[in-house]
Amino acid sequence: MRRAGRRTDPARWLVPIALAVGAAALAALAPDVLLAQDTGGEGPRAYGDFPLIGSRTAIWVAAQVHLLFAAFVLGVPMFAVVAEAIGIFGGEDRYDKLAKEFTRLLLVAYSATAIWGAILVFGLVTLYPGVWSYLAGIFAPSMWVYVGLFFFESFTLYLYYYGWDRWKEGRAKWGHWTLGILLNVWGTIVMFIANSWLTYMMSPPADVTPDTAPDMVRFWSAFANATWMPINIHRLIANVVFGGAIVGAYAAYRFLVARTDEERAHYDWMGYVGNFIAISALIVLPFAGYYLGREIYEFNQQMGITMMGGFMSWLWIIQAFLIGVLFLAGNYYLWVGMGRIPGAERYTKYTKYMLVVLVLGVIVWATPHTMIANRDELEAMGGSHHPFLGVLGVMSAKNTAVNLMILTTFLSFLLYRRANNEATVSWATTGTWIQGGVMGIAAAVVLFYGIYGYHPDVTAIVRIGFSVYQVGAVLTAIIVVTLLDIFMMRGARSLGAIRWGQMPARSQYALFILAVTFTWLMGLMGFARSGIRQHWHVWEVMRDTSEWAATPALGYAATVISACVLIFLALVAFIFWLGGLAEKPVIAQVGAAPHGPRGAEASGGPELQPAQGD
Amino acid sequence: MWQTNLKVVLVVLGTLGVYTLVANSIPQVQSEVPEELSFTGEVSIDQLVSAGEDLYNGAGQCVSCHGLGTRAPNLVTDHAGEGTIGQRCGDRVPGEDCKVYLHQSMVNPGVYVVEGFQPIMPDMTRTLSETQIWAVVAYLQSVGGAVTVTAEDIGSSYGDAEGAPAGGSATAAAGGGVGAAGGLDPVAMLEGNLCLNCHTMDGRGVQLGPSFDGIGGRAGADYIRTSILDPNAEAAAGFEPLQGVMPTNFGEQFSAAQLEALVQFLANRR
Repeated sequence: MRRAGRRTDPARWLVPIALAVGAAALAALAPDVLLAQDTGGEGPRAYGDFPLIGSRTAIWVAAQVHLLFAAFVLGVPMFAVVAEAIGIFGGEDRYDKLAKEFTRLLLVAYSATAIWGAILVFGLVTLYPGVWSYLAGIFAPSMWVYVGLFFFESFTLYLYYYGWDRWKEGRAKWGHWTLGILLNVWGTIVMFIANSWLTYMMSPPADVTPDTAPDMVRFWSAFANATWMPINIHRLIANVVFGGAIVGAYAAYRFLVARTDEERAHYDWMGYVGNFIAISALIVLPFAGYYLGREIYEFNQQMGITMMGGFMSWLWIIQAFLIGVLFLAGNYYLWVGMGRIPGAERYTKYTKYMLVVLVLGVIVWATPHTMIANRDELEAMGGSHHPFLGVLGVMSAKNTAVNLMILTTFLSFLLYRRANNEATVSWATTGTWIQGGVMGIAAAVVLFYGIYGYHPDVTAIVRIGFSVYQVGAVLTAIIVVTLLDIFMMRGARSLGAIRWGQMPARSQYALFILAVTFTWLMGLMGFARSGIRQHWHVWEVMRDTSEWAATPALGYAATVISACVLIFLALVAFIFWLGGLAEKPVIAQVGAAPHGPRGAEASGGPELQPAQGD
Repeated sequence: MWQTNLKVVLVVLGTLGVYTLVANSIPQVQSEVPEELSFTGEVSIDQLVSAGEDLYNGAGQCVSCHGLGTRAPNLVTDHAGEGTIGQRCGDRVPGEDCKVYLHQSMVNPGVYVVEGFQPIMPDMTRTLSETQIWAVVAYLQSVGGAVTVTAEDIGSSYGDAEGAPAGGSATAAAGGGVGAAGGLDPVAMLEGNLCLNCHTMDGRGVQLGPSFDGIGGRAGADYIRTSILDPNAEAAAGFEPLQGVMPTNFGEQFSAAQLEALVQFLANRR
């Protein structure tokens, strides 16, 4: 069944216009012109003014919204290309269709990214000309490369999307997939370049002093500064998480407004895939975060302490609260989803125990400990730590809590995965016991080192090392149990296909909460990363002497972050609606998948048919 | 349809509202910019202590570590049964009085690391001016002890009673020492130190030594720096007969910040 659709895609015009605006802005900012502002005349104008909200908040909003769109357009191509590969190698056409639908969402999001990028550049030029001049003096060559790569990226995207149906067979399909890989390569390089600018502001090379002229700064040492690669890795993973969450929310909305069972089934499946990707990548993200945190400490102890124990110490309590919401919402979605899987009732009795572990974990993780306090507060507390909560707030307890939460979430996925399957291999019972044993041992290792960390003879540095053993045990368990499951479930007997589409509406609202929380969390972490510079544009090199130099408290930051998230989500909703106008997908039910009668993949999921002439 | 849209909007707004509310419900700590101090010889002990307390609890960020007792010793409360910092500072290092000990601990923190703690204390001269540092010293002395910091302490070691970096421009933060004439303005330095008596620049001066016009194209920053600090190390081509004429004491006259400003200025004259 096909339905004709008009191809009036507004994104095709918006992106080049926005690119041209951005390029013009950069062209107008040749370093010589910029530097002239600082050296000529009767003193340069270091700062501009923005009405009502002030210059800092104006730049903050522009940068944050730009970054949210950028994260989306970098994250989504990653799993679009992976989904296309599954379609090619696995022979499952629905993954190919899913990848195409992801890519369709990208088109309009690209223009929004470029427009907000241009707003950011103009904001910097007019409100912070001194800072922009300084940065352009160091990074001008990379700015031109950035613009060039953005062109490559945009036109690769056009080829990738509009060539989808033309190059869908044989070698042409491989060429098309290569375009998808190229799209990711360009996007990743673009992100790495932009990361070098912002990380330089955090961690300039040691030989750069307040008296070093921008053109005397060695380019590569500024580019590949101390926190550049940790940020690159952290953002790469975070983009996948974010993209998955937004796609999940998109699918949730389409599910809620679907008019046919087929459409509902398709978007149910799409929501599941988005959530699966987001939560899977989220589990890895803390390790990238530890790496980044360690590098910040290595670069400058004071900066690290400001971040974790200084005026930002309360931020991590909010972060723990948000991640708690993510874990709870992600697991809740899976547990509700098991209601549409025949055979899942075998496992529902375990969910209440998993819920207890998760809630206790969140409570422990969100317990304040080493918070910044003045003399009055210390006296009121009766010491540097709360007499009761202080015991729970230490890293031994928190690491134990988060590792058990990760293990529990993995267990949820595992139960979901095997819900409608019954192993038929001869060693199935033994294998299940081994799986349980491995999980139990991992939990025991986590608990042992968590408790041992309280021993008075264990020094702080040794205690920090315990987290490696805890993380190692959890990761090992995840890998071993997954491998065992793959082998054990070969040729498994199906207890029935997943009833895609038969999902309560409340589960879809969980996907919205996940998307909003991920987005808000990105804003919060952006504030943490940028805020630890405090009153320095460039840490201990270029001081912020504007009236907005003080770094605001968390309450104000939260209000700005919420405003940014609202702007972003409103625009995303609008451009998705635009995308819906341009292309009306039609859902068709397909039969059983070609590879075996098991798992979610084999349950006869729906297929999205593109509009005619697409 | 519209009912669904309304529900989605309410879920999104509700979630954002809860997060905003939670973040506004916790203690609000803003990171302040260190306030510029400009004490004169008339400064009172109370003024110094008050300014120091503000810095200690605010922009100086001392409580990030010294208020916890885990990263660094508690200062305003008891540490190891020895009392507050004002009570114990005079006994920490034999022969070193309290204010010298505290001052050294801030400007050269690697010298006196308290047993059981890591050497994580930053050099406070990077973020606070000398005046601000002395104000913090005065405050710490006041916590259980007698304040002995005076306006003379502030002036004696630094000459500039206002201190160097606080709240100033990005180019005024480094350095130390009394400094040569001209402040940090390279042209004023060249004029004030009579450099144009032997060098030319923009049509001014006497052409005895190499011209400053286009010097950045002929020599790099390292060469220029060496030529100022040790002018006899290597004579510029064509000027060998004049070797020994240039004074060799500019390294003692210029502060580090002045020297660097001058070097960068000349290196950029291409």
